[in-house]
Amino acid sequence: MTDAVTSLWPFLVYVVAVLLLVATMLGLSFVLGQRRANRATNMPFESGVLSVGSPQIHIAVEFYLVAIFFVIFDLETVFIFAWAVAFFELGWEGFIAVLVFIAILAVALVYELSTGALDWGVKTRAGAPRPESRQPQEEQH
Amino acid sequence: MNAADFQALLPLLVLSGGAVLLMLQIAFVRGVNRSAALATLTLVLAALSCASAVEQAPRQVTPLLVMDAFALLFCAVFCLAAAVTVLLSGDYISYHGDEPEEYFLLLVLSTLGACVLVSANHVASLVLGLELLSVSLYALIAYPNKSILPLEAAIKYLVLSGTASATTLFGFALLYAATGTLAFDALGEQLTATATGRPMLLLAGAMVFAGLGFKFSLVPFHLWTPDVYHGAPAPVTGFLASVSKAAVFLVLLRLFLDADLFRYRILVELTGLIAILSMLAGNLLALLQTNIKRMLAYSSIAHMGYLLLVFMVCIERDNRGLAVEAAAYYLIAYIATIIAAFGLLTLVSARQVEREDVQLQHVSGLFWRQPLLACLLLVALLSLVGVPLTAGFIAKFYLVVAAVDGSNWVLLGALIVGSAIGIYYYMRVIYYMSRKPEQQVSQAAPADGLAVRVLSGALIVIILLLGTVPQPLMAYIRSIL
Repeated sequence: MTDAVTSLWPFLVYVVAVLLLVATMLGLSFVLGQRRANRATNMPFESGVLSVGSPQIHIAVEFYLVAIFFVIFDLETVFIFAWAVAFFELGWEGFIAVLVFIAILAVALVYELSTGALDWGVKTRAGAPRPESRQPQEEQH
Repeated sequence: MNAADFQALLPLLVLSGGAVLLMLQIAFVRGVNRSAALATLTLVLAALSCASAVEQAPRQVTPLLVMDAFALLFCAVFCLAAAVTVLLSGDYISYHGDEPEEYFLLLVLSTLGACVLVSANHVASLVLGLELLSVSLYALIAYPNKSILPLEAAIKYLVLSGTASATTLFGFALLYAATGTLAFDALGEQLTATATGRPMLLLAGAMVFAGLGFKFSLVPFHLWTPDVYHGAPAPVTGFLASVSKAAVFLVLLRLFLDADLFRYRILVELTGLIAILSMLAGNLLALLQTNIKRMLAYSSIAHMGYLLLVFMVCIERDNRGLAVEAAAYYLIAYIATIIAAFGLLTLVSARQVEREDVQLQHVSGLFWRQPLLACLLLVALLSLVGVPLTAGFIAKFYLVVAAVDGSNWVLLGALIVGSAIGIYYYMRVIYYMSRKPEQQVSQAAPADGLAVRVLSGALIVIILLLGTVPQPLMAYIRSIL
């Protein structure tokens, strides 16, 4: 315990000094600084770029969907890796089990493809009539 | 795994295979009727395969699942209940031109979850089944009807149920840290070896119980129930209220029995306290409702409270047989009644918006407008009250006998007071139904689905049969325990 204290005290002093320095800088500028509310006060200064437009950008929902699919399929490869590590111990039984697992994944992929979940912009769906050419959503930047 | 294992696992295999087939069918040829037929076929086949699987019972298949006759009985009941739900939803779904086929897929998957749950005797399979059941339910609530009310219900259920699942998982993780095992029976043995009263174990027990109590909507964790029941499509509400509740209850019962948690008196007395709170709060809050679905939601809280009474009875080892028997009978009667009641509610009003929002006024004068429908609804309500000749009476009688056997007088008192309060709000619906047609406020057009009518009629016959000749089912349950 005492060893730890003796070897760590410079570090502790350093941490306290950093905190003090930051607190002094912020505190002094808060106490002494001027408060103005001009037109340019809240604009980016010197190296900043003036912002244009609204920060509320519409991100197409496809991004979200693809991200979800990525997470799902990515996690499922984790299970396949776990099987691969124990390939020889598990033998044929394990092989068949993983085959079933991969088959179900393949069915899921077929389902996603045919329901148009992987299409970008205009969706095409199996069985459903093809929607008349809808404009893909414009993204606003 | 050998042939016998596969035979014992047949219902689950049929359900999983059916779900995959259904997915392929949706991928290549969309069609509501085709999907509904395939889903019904899968569910009925799964229910029938229980008869074949029972030859191998009881059998431990992998360390995760135990397929005994009790689990298989409820697998069959769940599959049949889901098949009925599929058929009841047909009329509902036909209002939606926008790809409603996945509805059936989700229903099959959540039935699979319920079946895994009743046959789980390992924490891993418990969590697996629970998640399969609830994740499908989130989607089911919002899927068929994309208006505000179902979406709100689904989001509420998603957030709260997710929290409950996380709590349960954390509790199991703590249990694992303390005992080093996840199988139910080994868990019980390890708990004997470790010192009781350790804060970690208490915390773990509380977290597991809170999480499962949430799914089971017991009183301190019941706040989601009315909103979700209100917003969800009526057939889904019926499924949620019957199958998902029954599955969670049965797995909790199995956990307590296998790990012999009944020796921890404090824990069991806690369930007794929660049972009393659920009975009273559920019934009292149901008094205030004018929306029939909300009323049924609160009354379901009360019913779960009645059911939880068997945990206190189970403290005495000699009474356990009777208590489990009572619970099994009660659950089967409750599933039949609730599905019938919600199925009939879909018929009361054809208009989509009002379906999620069945007010007392909507059933006003129902006896004069649609005598058959009103009579069926009457039987379902009387069964919920527990009037003789209906399944609800025998079920409640069973619980009373169990409570007397365990001399749980306080619980018995709460049961009687709760049932007495219940009479009022169920009778109020009947009173509204029997009003003269001049008085009725709205003239909602009745739906006409022949399949729904036939099915509801069949359910009502089952309720009456369970209430008048209960001996075969009683004898069967007794023989498999």
